[in-house]
Amino acid sequence: MSTRRDSGVVVPQFGTRGKAWLALLGIVIVAGLAAWGYQLSRGLAVTGMDNVFSWGLYIMLFVFFIGLSAGGLIISSAPKFFHSKRYDSLAALGVLVSLGCIVVAGLLILPDLGKPSRVTGFLTSPDFRSPMVWDFGIVLLYGLFNVGYLWLLTRRDLAKMGSQLAFGVEDTPAGRERDRKLAFWAAAVAMPLAIALHSVTGWIFATQIGRGDWFNPLVAPMFIMKALVSGLALLLVTAIVVDRVTRFRMPRELVPELGKVLGIFVAVHIVYLVAAERLPHAWAANFEFWSITSAFLVGDTVHFWLWTVVGGAVPIALLAVPSWRRKVGVVFAASVAAIVGILFEGVYLIFTGYRDLNIDASPGVTTGTDYTGIGSDVWATVGSYTPTLIELLVTLGIVAVGAMIVTLGLRFLPVQPGGRKPSAVEAGETEKSDAETPPDAAVADGGYVVDGTDGDRR
Amino acid sequence: MTNYGMVIDLERCIGCHACAVSCSQENNVSLDQQWNRILTEGGDSMDTPEGKYPEDGRDGTLSMNHLPMACQHCENAPCVKVCPVNATYKRDDGIVAIDYDKCMGCRYCMSACPYNARVFNYDEPETLPAEGTGNVEQREQGVVEKCTFCSHRVEEDLDPACTVACPADARIFGDLDDEESTVSRYINKYETDQLLEELETDPNTYYVRGDMTPGRKRHGNELEGTEKKEVGNPDGVATDGGESE
Repeated sequence: MSTRRDSGVVVPQFGTRGKAWLALLGIVIVAGLAAWGYQLSRGLAVTGMDNVFSWGLYIMLFVFFIGLSAGGLIISSAPKFFHSKRYDSLAALGVLVSLGCIVVAGLLILPDLGKPSRVTGFLTSPDFRSPMVWDFGIVLLYGLFNVGYLWLLTRRDLAKMGSQLAFGVEDTPAGRERDRKLAFWAAAVAMPLAIALHSVTGWIFATQIGRGDWFNPLVAPMFIMKALVSGLALLLVTAIVVDRVTRFRMPRELVPELGKVLGIFVAVHIVYLVAAERLPHAWAANFEFWSITSAFLVGDTVHFWLWTVVGGAVPIALLAVPSWRRKVGVVFAASVAAIVGILFEGVYLIFTGYRDLNIDASPGVTTGTDYTGIGSDVWATVGSYTPTLIELLVTLGIVAVGAMIVTLGLRFLPVQPGGRKPSAVEAGETEKSDAETPPDAAVADGGYVVDGTDGDRR
Repeated sequence: MTNYGMVIDLERCIGCHACAVSCSQENNVSLDQQWNRILTEGGDSMDTPEGKYPEDGRDGTLSMNHLPMACQHCENAPCVKVCPVNATYKRDDGIVAIDYDKCMGCRYCMSACPYNARVFNYDEPETLPAEGTGNVEQREQGVVEKCTFCSHRVEEDLDPACTVACPADARIFGDLDDEESTVSRYINKYETDQLLEELETDPNTYYVRGDMTPGRKRHGNELEGTEKKEVGNPDGVATDGGESE
């Protein structure tokens, strides 16, 4: 009789740290709900948004989490599509992380609405010209697909450990073989679905003529690339943390391997695509060689520098050196930097759209938020935005929901394929450098401290 | 078919803001918003010129113009195309309207509108007096609103409040599909442009700039072709500032 332990559940039960982590998430979620309640009672006036800068933190992070949701699905589905077992050890964890992210992204739309109860309008009177309707459909589809795909990847192991989540599926060799075929077809759906998700989210912005640089055919390819960067980086960060705090074992040789892939993604995104986007503008708007060069290379906002230096130059430097990228800590740091960079790319994108008005003659536009009495100045000629505490709390609460999903997934789903010897048995990986993490010994001695923390702070 | 449009004669606009005030009054617009704004093309502040004051007998370079701005009621309205729930739509008579009961407040239309014509009720709307003004119901907190060409007046065969209020006759409202209407004749006769024409939104609002437009002939107290349709709103209350009483 198989037990949970060797079916691949990496957190057989929550320890003290695990419970503390869950409690923390619970508190953050409750605080977020309370903040949202306050926002509902007072209206969006309690946010930092106004009539000029009419999308803020919620949409910036919506874009960010859409991107983050890419990594797991791509890493798990791309090899399966080519009938490879590569990265199998990360497949279920990856889809779990994708699911958490897409839930966060979807939920982030709700507090952005002035009338959240009318969100049903997406179903009752959709206008199919609206990129937001396309996005609503694809986010929903993508979320549901993630649930189904995650179940497909884990259901035989769930059956093996007698979990009710198997929903009557039996663990048989024939069944596993059939699932392998099904996984190929699921992968064949997953990749176009992921590409569609990121493109459509990009087109929400790229179709808009009224907001400066948004109207740019490169936005959709940029979204795909930044989804690959941030998604893979998040998967690496999560896998490294989960490896450390749970029974999950990430094969060590995947660290430099995926680190290299991440470095290539960052290079394509930050070096190539950003250059491709900026050069024509810089060239057309300037005359001298050096002014073209500086307009091309020098950004004008702090978000730009956070994006290209923290999210670009730093990870590329860290990952380019072979001996560095063999170090887990270095890959971890590079991944965090890449994630931070992509976060600020989203911020940068929103700011480029809202900072300048097309017609900015004074007195400008009424802000809709500044009336305090006769004589108050309700006008603005440039967009400015600082998120409020309420927005931060609501956002953190929603992110905590995603972390909760991942945590519970680690507790109840066998994310380690083939039980406790994933890399050797299932994924065909050789465990050559496992001095630091001898899973067998740890499990065998039964004294391994098990915690539910995944530390997955994204 | 009817296709309502407006011509704003910038050669006639004197920058008095009367249209903006009467718009807010007629449409019950909250004090922290304006549907109709009068921008100053000149100095950095409202109603200031740019350039130099004439000194020592030299010529000055001072110049100032005004640009009244409100919803342009575009033919190819980006706000209509982005609205996910069909709350914003183009009426058969050319007016871009909002169904306030459908609007879920996502503000996508605000980022779509290149003219920043739309405002959102972040706060509970506030008016003086508190019970509201004019002839339009107060919009709820959490929805987007904007100029409606005073559709409630147009349906009663009245001109929009701004058009009636303009003391310089700079605003002309009418049917762009009717070749004989004053708006059509103006567009055919004078050089007009649409704001941000290069974005291909094709607004139903046209601006006359450039050479001084010759004065229209007067018939009694009215200029040719611009008989103001101003009284007779649903409540029977004059919205022309009491002139007709």
